[in-house]
Amino acid sequence: MEGLLSTLLAWALLYFGGSGQAWPTHTACREGGLEVLYQSCDPFQDLGFSIEQCSRTLKSNLNIRLGLILREDIKELFLDVALLTKGSSVLNFSYPVCESDQPKFSFCGRRKGEQFYYVGPVNNPGFEVPKGEYQVLLELYNGKKSTVACANATVICS
Amino acid sequence: MAPTISCMLLAVLISAGCKVITSSDQMCTEKEVNKTYNCEYLGLSKVPDFLPNTTEVLDFSFNFLPTIQNTTFRRLINLIFLDLTRCQINWLHEDTFQSQYQLSTIVLTGNPLIFMAETSLNGPTSLKHLFLTQIGISSLKFIPVHNLENLQSLYVGSNHITSIELPENFPTQNLKVLDFQNNAIHYLMKKDLDSLKQATNLSINLSGNDIKGIEPGAFHSKIFQKLNFGGTFDVSVIFQGLQNATIQSLWLGRFEDMEDKDIDSGMLQGLCEMTVESINLQKHYFSPISSTTFQCFTRLQELDLTATHLEELPSSIKGMSSLKKLVLTANHFGQLCQINAANFPSLTSLYIKSNTKKLDLGVACLESLENLQTLDLSHSNIEASDCCTLQLKNLHHLQSLNLSYNEPLGLQNQAFQETPQLVLLDLAFTNLHVNVPQSPFQNLPLLQFLNLSHCLLDTSNQRLLAGLLDLRHLNLQGNRFQDGRISKTNLLQTVGSLEILILASCDLLSIDQQALHGLEKIHYVDLSHNRLTGNSIDALSHLKNIYLNLADNNIDIIPFHVLPTLSQQTTINLSHNPLDCTCSNIHFFMWFLENLQKFEGLEETVCTNPPLLRGVKLSDVKLVCGITAAAIFVLIVFLFLLIVLLIFFIKCLLRRKYQNI
Repeated sequence: MEGLLSTLLAWALLYFGGSGQAWPTHTACREGGLEVLYQSCDPFQDLGFSIEQCSRTLKSNLNIRLGLILREDIKELFLDVALLTKGSSVLNFSYPVCESDQPKFSFCGRRKGEQFYYVGPVNNPGFEVPKGEYQVLLELYNGKKSTVACANATVICS
Repeated sequence: MAPTISCMLLAVLISAGCKVITSSDQMCTEKEVNKTYNCEYLGLSKVPDFLPNTTEVLDFSFNFLPTIQNTTFRRLINLIFLDLTRCQINWLHEDTFQSQYQLSTIVLTGNPLIFMAETSLNGPTSLKHLFLTQIGISSLKFIPVHNLENLQSLYVGSNHITSIELPENFPTQNLKVLDFQNNAIHYLMKKDLDSLKQATNLSINLSGNDIKGIEPGAFHSKIFQKLNFGGTFDVSVIFQGLQNATIQSLWLGRFEDMEDKDIDSGMLQGLCEMTVESINLQKHYFSPISSTTFQCFTRLQELDLTATHLEELPSSIKGMSSLKKLVLTANHFGQLCQINAANFPSLTSLYIKSNTKKLDLGVACLESLENLQTLDLSHSNIEASDCCTLQLKNLHHLQSLNLSYNEPLGLQNQAFQETPQLVLLDLAFTNLHVNVPQSPFQNLPLLQFLNLSHCLLDTSNQRLLAGLLDLRHLNLQGNRFQDGRISKTNLLQTVGSLEILILASCDLLSIDQQALHGLEKIHYVDLSHNRLTGNSIDALSHLKNIYLNLADNNIDIIPFHVLPTLSQQTTINLSHNPLDCTCSNIHFFMWFLENLQKFEGLEETVCTNPPLLRGVKLSDVKLVCGITAAAIFVLIVFLFLLIVLLIFFIKCLLRRKYQNI
């Protein structure tokens, strides 16, 4: 009786906890001593992301590939990046990707429900990644502060 | 046994919780009672029974409706707006919307449509907006044309369309917006444009199509509201092709992720042969920019050169004398004089936002812009120790000035004396140095809006706001006051015409009872995100019918004597305060329950004390105060004992008295 009940309880807990299911962890790149892993933190969808040519000496203007379904219109789109190492915050910044008076990319103005696929440069500066493990939280949101994409990334440099 | 029972109870409770979650009927969110509902991402395969027949606006996106037909939405006869984005719709059968007479917007974005029946859009008497973005079509003939007579906008972006030609019987008389973004249209022919000739004031978006050729004469004597050719590789093709057209607004910008050709003077020649009011050339490279580059821009009213890698504009540009609006945002100017403002004597608006270099305002660089009314210099790393008399010399007609998000500025007495007509001044997030007792805003009798949020002001300067006779809207968010206190004499006493006052996030602990006297016209006070207590409400006792935001303060008990002050206001926000829900706050409680309609943010207006009620909404608490039954019992017992004791004592006294006899 006791065993049955605890099984039932465990099942109920698992089932209940499962409603906030986690997306699988993917590899964005693994090359030249650098490994970038990521997981979508948007409860509604996973996302596809990869970096072309990663290495410890990160080149400027890297090419990336990004694929997802747009949950919102992106006439306005902003990127927030938070970089942490060993649990302490190193860098936080916010970058406007699409603004109504300055749509930087050709995808600006796409609509809710469209499949979004971007291959191209990200306009980053080149730099040497110091050895260690970093956590990066990336969030894309629109002018109404609604999430468009969210990713928890881990960067391992050895 | 007890743990087993509690375990079982817990399991039952948890499974019950699951049931609620999987039952989709109750899961649509109600945005407006009986009218607006959001059912996104619920995996629904039919309209839930819970939705009332009176629903007018329904967001049903990201659900599962492979086939839709006349039974799918039959019940919802009042629909005005229906969003069916990405519902995996394959089939739109006959008479799907036949009972939705009022339907004006249908969104079908991202559905893999195989077929739309001839009568699938019949029913609505005035269908105005149709979104068919990314539905996989390669021809506009896919769209059933019956019942499109009232159509105002058609969105067919991200498909495989190669021609903008509308089918012969496609009604265009009411069409205002045609969106062809990100298709495969490379050529515009005369017959394509002729199919649109009945439409007036039309806007066409061809961004992301890379136009390679336009048939000569295709746009001859055609009139358009807006034409967007964003991301076109060679803009000279566009200029040549638009000969003899009249266009209000022409968007020819490029994007970071697309290749293009540098613009030289020759490429812009085509502009001489057309009439354009406003043009956008964002992100292009000009090689090399010279005084003749813009010679065909003579009739232009607005020019947007955002992020065009400019370090200066040549001094003798011909043909820009009638330009009214110039946008030079996100360029690399070192000095304001490098824009050579004398080229644009008619300018009324100038935007130089987000300059990538430190922008030196110089001396009198804009003095030739006598008609300038709007100047935006925000986010441009501007620093000046003595601003802004020399810098803004001769801008006598300036009405709106934005200097927000810059480096520190030093302001002296009458710092804006060259711009006496200012109505709006935005200095948010720019550190201001003002010596006590100087009045930098003196001589701005017309100023109505002043944003001084996060300016690190010295608020002890009581003359800071002197001279602002007509100021209506003042934002002082994020500035500190001495000892966290607004005293009886303060800087607000010189601005008696204020209507809106924002003092949020100022780290305030208290406000003197007399501090806001003199502000008789005020109707909006934001005191949120401070550390104020209930006693500070006294400062508002002379004000009536205001919107009062006291969210996120340190208010626990609201004293009895401030209740009349709260009673005379229109709207009050007390959310995120450590409110006391014990009998010591009973007067407030009784008043609160009678005045619920006055309150904003009731969901977040919760108790903090006693611990048992922590997090419970104030509106859900029923407080019963007074003497309880137990207290009455104790009191009676006590009185009884007292009487017994008294009788005993008198008895003793009497006995002793008679013993002596």
